[in-house]
Amino acid sequence: MSDAEQPTDDHVPGAEDDEFEPVQVFPEAESMDLRPGADNCYKCSTCDTNCPVAEVDDEFPGPKFQGPEQWRLKRQGDHDIDDSVMKCSNCMRCDSACPSEVPLSQMHNTARGEYVEENMDKFSREYIRNRILANYRRLAPLGAAFPRTANFVMGLSVTKWLGEKTLGITSERDLPEFATETFRAWWTKRGGNATSKKRAREARAKRGDAKVENPDKRIAYFHGCYSNYNTPEVAKALVRVYEHFGYEIMVPEQSCSGTPMFANGMLDDARRAAETNVRELGAAIEDGADIVASCSSCSMSLRQEYPELFDFENTKNVAENTWDAIEYLRVHEDLEGELEGTSVKGEDFAYHAPCHSRNQGLDGQTIEVVDAIDGIDAHDVGDSCSGISGTYGWKAENYETSMKIGEEMFEHMEDADAETGLTECPTCSMQMGHGTGYEIKHTLEVLEAALVGADRDADRRKRQEAG
Amino acid sequence: MADDTEVLVLGGGSTGCGIARDLAMRGLEVTLVERENLTDGTTGRMHGLLHSGGRYAVSDQASATECIEENEILREIAGHCVELTGGLFVQRPEDSDKYFREKLEGCRECDIPARVLSGREARAVEPYLANDVKRAIEVPDGAVDPFRLCVANALDAEQHGARVETHAEVIDLLRDGDDIYGVEVRHESGPGKRTHEAAGTTEEITAEYVVNATGAWAGQIGEMANLDIEVRPSKGVMTIMNVRQVDTVINRCKPKGDADIIVPHETTAILGTTDEEVADPDDYPEERWEVDQMIDTLSELVPILEEARTIRSFWGVRPLYEPPGTGTQDPTDITRDFFLLDHDDRDGVSGMSSIVGGKFTTYRAMAEEISDHVCEKLGVSASCATADEPLPGSENIETLEAGMDDFGLRSPVARRSKQRLGSRASDVLGTDDANPVICQCEGVTRAEVQDAISQSGSDLNAVRIRTRASMGNCQGGFCCANMANELHPEYDEPTVRAALDELFQERWKGERHALWGEQLSQAMLNYALHATTMNRDRDPANAAESESLDYAAFDGGRPAPERRADGRGDP
Ligand SMILES: Cc1cc2nc3c(=O)[nH]c(=O)nc-3n(C[C@H](O)[C@H](O)[C@H](O)COP(=O)(O)OP(=O)(O)OC[C@H]3O[C@@H](n4cnc5c(N)ncnc54)[C@H](O)[C@@H]3O)c2cc1C
Ligand code: SF4
Ligand code: SF4
Repeated sequence: MSDAEQPTDDHVPGAEDDEFEPVQVFPEAESMDLRPGADNCYKCSTCDTNCPVAEVDDEFPGPKFQGPEQWRLKRQGDHDIDDSVMKCSNCMRCDSACPSEVPLSQMHNTARGEYVEENMDKFSREYIRNRILANYRRLAPLGAAFPRTANFVMGLSVTKWLGEKTLGITSERDLPEFATETFRAWWTKRGGNATSKKRAREARAKRGDAKVENPDKRIAYFHGCYSNYNTPEVAKALVRVYEHFGYEIMVPEQSCSGTPMFANGMLDDARRAAETNVRELGAAIEDGADIVASCSSCSMSLRQEYPELFDFENTKNVAENTWDAIEYLRVHEDLEGELEGTSVKGEDFAYHAPCHSRNQGLDGQTIEVVDAIDGIDAHDVGDSCSGISGTYGWKAENYETSMKIGEEMFEHMEDADAETGLTECPTCSMQMGHGTGYEIKHTLEVLEAALVGADRDADRRKRQEAG
Repeated sequence: MADDTEVLVLGGGSTGCGIARDLAMRGLEVTLVERENLTDGTTGRMHGLLHSGGRYAVSDQASATECIEENEILREIAGHCVELTGGLFVQRPEDSDKYFREKLEGCRECDIPARVLSGREARAVEPYLANDVKRAIEVPDGAVDPFRLCVANALDAEQHGARVETHAEVIDLLRDGDDIYGVEVRHESGPGKRTHEAAGTTEEITAEYVVNATGAWAGQIGEMANLDIEVRPSKGVMTIMNVRQVDTVINRCKPKGDADIIVPHETTAILGTTDEEVADPDDYPEERWEVDQMIDTLSELVPILEEARTIRSFWGVRPLYEPPGTGTQDPTDITRDFFLLDHDDRDGVSGMSSIVGGKFTTYRAMAEEISDHVCEKLGVSASCATADEPLPGSENIETLEAGMDDFGLRSPVARRSKQRLGSRASDVLGTDDANPVICQCEGVTRAEVQDAISQSGSDLNAVRIRTRASMGNCQGGFCCANMANELHPEYDEPTVRAALDELFQERWKGERHALWGEQLSQAMLNYALHATTMNRDRDPANAAESESLDYAAFDGGRPAPERRADGRGDP
C-alpha cells in the first residue's frame, strides 16, 4: 500500500462495543488524510497528459491538481474541495500513467466523498440525481420485476425528457433495457450451486481431469449489477465457460461493487455495499473459492478501491483473491491451447479495452484470446477512453464531454473492418453502441460460442453418428 | 548640518523592522538599512514557532510569561501571519514523569493555558504520533510566518514615513571622537527598489541616533567603531518536510535536547533544531549528519517522518549574547533573553545602542523597549501603539474569514492566497485581468506575484518570501521561470535572467541537503527540464566570451494567440 496508509489504533472508542462490527480505523472515509501521498509526486504532469477529460475540457484542471496538489494544500479541518472533482470521470487512467505511484484515484475518490459530504446541497437536483445513478442497483430490481413496463416507460420520450429536466439525466441516451429474467432468477431456476457442482464434476470427468473430485476448482462469481439485470447472457456465458473447464460456481449474496458510488462521491453508500461484499466474498474464500468478476470495473473496485478506502476485516484478503474472468482462465488453465482449433462463424469485432481493464494490465488479453479462435478476429480500436465512465456520461452536463472523449473511439470503430463491438465493460459497451449503433458483445460471449458452442456441436455430431 | 534622519536602524530582521515600525508610528523619522533582503539573517532561518512560553515554563519563567503575552498580542495584530495550530508537549514512555509534572505546573504558574491529554487523546488530535506515546500537555503554541510578519512591519513603517533600504550594506560607522553620527552604506544597485545590473553606489547616512539590530552580526558592526560586542553565534539546523504530517506543534516533553520540535508551517512541516556555537555567522559547516539526526530523533515521536519526503534543509544562527564574564560553556544554557547595550553607558561612545539576543516571538516587546530607550535619548515623548494597531493585512481579519469571495480561483488556491494576504486579499486578487496560477505547489497566482514585484523590484527572492512562490515540492523547478517571466516587460532580458539565476541558486542551496528519495527524483527532473527546455546546462547567452546572442537568427515563432479572459492558455 501507499505511504498514505493511516496509522492504526486498536483503541478506537466504540469499536469494542460490538464485536461483530468490523474495526473501522477511520470513523469516516472522508476524514482520511492523504497528504503524505503527495510526497511521491514530482510534478512531471504525465497524469495530466493521460487524462481523457482534461484533453477535451479546458475547464478541468486535471489529475495533478485534483490529486497531489489539492491534497498538499489542505490542512486538517479544511473541507472545501474544489468542485472540479465532480468532472473527473474516475476512469483511473491517471493512476496507471503516474510513474511515481501517487495514489491518484484514491485521492480523487476521497476528495469527491468529502466534496459531496461537505459542499453539496443534499436537496439539490444534482445530489439526488447522482444518488439515483450511483444506486442504480436499488432501482434495478423494480425494473427487473416489471421489465416490460419499465423498458416501455423508460423508453418513452416524455420520461427521458422528464429525466433531463428534473434530474439532469441526459435524454440523448437510451436507458439500458432490463432483461425479462435476471441472471439470479435463471441461476436459481437452474438449480443453483448444486447443479453447478454436478455439471463441473461431469465436465471434469469428460475432460479426463486427474481429479474428478476437485475442491480447488471452485469460484465465487461476482456478477455485479449490469449482468444481473440487463445482460444476463454475459453472466450465463461465464457460467457455461467455467463449467466447461470443470469449475464449480457459487453465486454469493452481493451488493453493488461501489464503482458508481465512488464516482459520485457517495462514500457512505459505497461503504455499506462494500461491507456486504467483503463479508460474503470473504466467506466464499473461506469455502475455498477464488472470486471472479466479469465486469472490469467490478474487479477494479474489489481489488484496488476497497483496500484504498475501507478497512473491514478481510478487505485485503478479498482484494488479493479477486480475478478478472478471462485473466483467471489464462493463469489457471491453458485457455489459448483450449481455443486452438475452435472456430466461430460470424463477423469480426471492433474491440475496445476499457480503462479499468487497462489499469489492471489486462488491455491485451481479449485480442490475444480471440486470436486463437478460427473464423473471427478482434481489431483493437486503440487506447482512447470511451468517455462514458459509468454514470459520468449519463449526466446532462457531462454528455458533450463524454461524447467528445468517445469520438476517437467511434472513429476507430468505424474504420475497423467490423460491424460488431466487443468489450468487457458494460458502460463502455453502452457508449460504443450509442456512438456507432453497433451491437456490442462481451469477450465471455465469444468464448462461450467457441468453447461451449463447440461442445454442443460435438454432442450433436455424436448424437447424429449414434443415430 | 541637519541629519538625514532622526533614527537609523541597522538590520532588516524582525528586531530591526519591529523597531522601525514602532518609532515611525510614534512619529519619528526613521531609516532602515539591510545588507540583503529583509529576513535574510536569522529571521528568515528560524523554526517558525510562535511560542506559547511552554518551552521555557520550567527553565526560564520570565521568558515564558513574556512569550504568552506576546503570543496573544500577535494573534490580534498579525492574524494573517499566524496560524493557531495549538501545540503538544508529548511524553514518551522513557521520558521522565517528574519533568512532565514540572512542565505542567510551570505552565500554570506562567498563566499558559495547559491541559493534559492521554496518549489516545493526543493521537486523536495527531493521528501520526507514535503508538506508544504516553500523554501530552496541550498549550497554545502557534506557527508564524517570519517572512510575511517582518515584511508587514517594514511595509507599515514605510506607510508611516520610514525609508527602508534593502541591499544596502553598512560598510562603516561614522564616528567623530566619542560620538557615532551615522553610517556609510553600499547600495548594491543604487538606492530605492532593487534592480539587478544597476550600478552600485555608496551613501553616507547621518542620524541623530543609530540602533544596531544586526543580530549575530552585531559584533561585526561594533568593530567598525572599535566597540567590543560579545555575540556568540550558535547554529541550528531545520529540515523541511514536503507535507504536513502534523497540524499541531509537536514538542518532546524533555528538559532540553536537540531535534525536539515539529512545527507545521504553511504546506510543510519543519523539524528542528540543534544548538552549536560557530565562529563566523556567515561561514560555518552544514552537514548531512545533522539532518539525519533530526529525522531519526523526531521519528521517535512521529514515525512516518522516517520515510517521508524532505524538500530542503537550512541553518540559522542565533545571536546569543552573554554579559562579559558569565562564561557559560554549553550554548543551550545561554539565556534566550535579549540585551540592550547602550554604548554611551558601556563604552563611553554616544549615539548608538546595540540590541542582541531575544526571540522572534517577543520581537514586538523588544522593539517597544528599545524604542522607549531611543525616545528617551532623543528627548521625545511618544507612546507605543504597536500592541493595538494591526499590521497591514491583519485589519478586520474576521470579516475576511467570513467572506466567501474566492476571486474566481479554485478553492484551495483561493483559501491559501487569502490566508497569505489577509485583509489585502481583495485589493490584490480582485483583478479583472487574467490571473493564472504561477506557482502550482503553493497555489500562488499572477496577481499576488505582481503585487510583490511592485513592492520589491526585480528581486525574485523578495517575491518568494512575500508569496511562497517556489517554496513547494518542486523547489522552483517548474515555476522560477514563470516568476521571472512576470518581470518582463518592466525589466529587460539581462535583468530578468540575473533575477532568475539568483532565485534558482537560492532554491538549490537548501534543496541540495535533501538529495535522496523523492526529492532526488525531483532534482533530476528539474535538471533535465531546465537543460532541455532552457539550455540551462550550457546556455550560450551565459558564455563569458560570447558576443551577444544573435536573436535575429531565430524565426519569430507562431503568432501569439490572444490572451483569454480566464487566463487559460497563458504560461
Ligand atoms: C535555529 C533557530 C531557530 C529559531 N526558532 C525560533 C522560533 O521557533 N521561535 C522564535 O520565537 N524564535 C526563534 N529563533 C530566534 C529568532 O529567530 C531570532 O531571535 C530572531 O529572528 C532574531 O532577529 P534579529 O532581527 O535580531 O536578527 P536577524 O534576523 O539576524 O537580523 C539581522 C539582520 O542584519 C543584517 N545585517 C548583518 N550585517 C549587516 C550589515 N553590515 N549591514 C546591514 N545589515 C546587516 C542581516 O542581513 C540580518 O538580516 C530561532 C533562532 C534560530 C537560530
Ligand atoms: S480518473 Fe480519469 S478523468 Fe479522473 S483525473 Fe484521472 S484520468 Fe482524469
Ligand atoms: S504523473 Fe504522478 S508524479 Fe507526475 S505529476 Fe502526475 S501525480 Fe505527479
